[in-house]
Amino acid sequence: MAKACCGPGYASPAEAMQAPREKLLYTIAIYTGTGIQKPDYLCTIDADPESPTYSQVISRLEMPGIGDELHHMGWNACSSCHDDENMERKYLIVPGVRSTNLHIVDCGTDPRNPTLFKVIEGSEIKATTNLSAPHTVHCLGSEIIISMLGDAQGNAPGGYLHLDKEFNIIGRWENSMGEIKFGYDFWYQPRHNVMVSSEWAAPNTFMPGFDLEEVGHLKYGRELHFWDFEKKEPRQTMYLGEDGLIPLEVRFHHNPDSSHGFVGAALSANIIHWWKDTAGEWQWEKIVDVDNEPHPDWPIPIPGVISVILLSMDDRFLYLCNWLHGDIRQYDISDPHKPVLTGQVWMGGLLGKAPEVNGVKVTGGPQMIQLSLDGKRLFVTTSLFSTWDNQFYPEIRTNGGCMLMVNCDTENGGMEIDPDFVVDFGKEPNGPSRCHETRYPGGDCTSDIWI
Amino acid sequence: MTKVTVTLANRQGQTFEVDPRKTLLASLSEQGVDLPYGCKYGGCITCAARLMSGSVNQSAQVALNNRQINDGYIILCVARPLSDCCLEIGVDSHGKLYRNPFLDPLADHELKADIAAPMKENT
Repeated sequence: MAKACCGPGYASPAEAMQAPREKLLYTIAIYTGTGIQKPDYLCTIDADPESPTYSQVISRLEMPGIGDELHHMGWNACSSCHDDENMERKYLIVPGVRSTNLHIVDCGTDPRNPTLFKVIEGSEIKATTNLSAPHTVHCLGSEIIISMLGDAQGNAPGGYLHLDKEFNIIGRWENSMGEIKFGYDFWYQPRHNVMVSSEWAAPNTFMPGFDLEEVGHLKYGRELHFWDFEKKEPRQTMYLGEDGLIPLEVRFHHNPDSSHGFVGAALSANIIHWWKDTAGEWQWEKIVDVDNEPHPDWPIPIPGVISVILLSMDDRFLYLCNWLHGDIRQYDISDPHKPVLTGQVWMGGLLGKAPEVNGVKVTGGPQMIQLSLDGKRLFVTTSLFSTWDNQFYPEIRTNGGCMLMVNCDTENGGMEIDPDFVVDFGKEPNGPSRCHETRYPGGDCTSDIWI
Repeated sequence: MTKVTVTLANRQGQTFEVDPRKTLLASLSEQGVDLPYGCKYGGCITCAARLMSGSVNQSAQVALNNRQINDGYIILCVARPLSDCCLEIGVDSHGKLYRNPFLDPLADHELKADIAAPMKENT
């Protein structure tokens, strides 16, 4: 039955998979922490193989000031307001983790040349909500919530900033943070009245860089929180312990009826799966455990450091990146309790398996990924966070980051790095920059939620 | 109000007269020095510089561990000079600021102040 409405996004995940192929990519690039005194910027990249500028940056939108550390970003609208014909997926909300500034970027008026529409100053956010360090942006019907990892002084746990659709600050979204110690990513699944949030650390802990000893001093997260989404308060906490050190990206199945979801525990290098059992209780289990790998120069084996995961729109494949090892893995999670490894590719990393790809020296490892709606093209960037890059991959200061594309076999499983696509951020006009999260004008596999 | 003199060792020894009530980031930026910065609340090390001589009050900083402090690093967005100072600024002063945490772990007394063990006395 055809839908009569014409709001943003798609009526269902299945409809999203039939959308036209993405022809533009929006990717963040940073100079914060690099020694180049230029603002971070949003790149528009040509992803149309028929275009003469395919695989090139075709426009750059600089932020007004330096030092934002752009990181993650999100759309003003997604499939959660598909029924609302007054909404449009037009603006990217692009936060600066360090500055707390929120940049509202108009990508709709001229998709090839986004422009800055509005800036919500970090000083205003801190003054009105006592929050700082914005991270994940999700639209919420017609409104927007953003996980904020610290209070105005950078202490945990922070909270959630609530914006209206005109980008005015409403205030704090949550009614209570309960006993939550840290914030990071979140995803909601309204048909189960649940939101799940994960834990990185206080901004004052992770922004200066990673001290391993601070994990033992409980300065980093190891818990997962299940919220009563309507009451806007945490209801249940899962203590993941050593299996779940630094749980980062949270992904529910796109199927809005499903209760299954996943989180990547970065330092433990595990995938944690949760679901609601037949008695209505939330359960969790570890389903992937990436072995630490020996290295001749390291006193202890290197952990994978799973910096990101995502699910294909049909919820069949889970992708993860081991930022320190240098591999991307594809698992068939048709049975979410029993993942099957179906593909693996290498780029960069500390194990030396693929120091150069498509003629570019890869500095860093596979980090942020974004999958096309049809599940066939995975775009990958290599920088994690300026201070952490500087610790683990110091050559990135002179080499910059890069973006590659991985072709994914959605029939039989399997992955291959595309030989014709590479964007070398070491050759940017103002000097080597570092690329991070990517989004597509028509939505992608980490932006859209169905209510 | 008595001003103090800040010398930038890695900027051809340029000198600046600054108000000791203001942060070094604010004073130097106002006088045209192009400095990196991030959070402006002392919680990230984007604006770190090295204090070669002199002294500062940076009691508001929470980003540096004790090893970085012992190596002379200061956080310009919260540090106020207590005397004439000589600084190395910018990323070219950050050589000892970043270390691989697995290859080069911190001793208990080198952690951040809130979790560091007391330094053992050398007698």
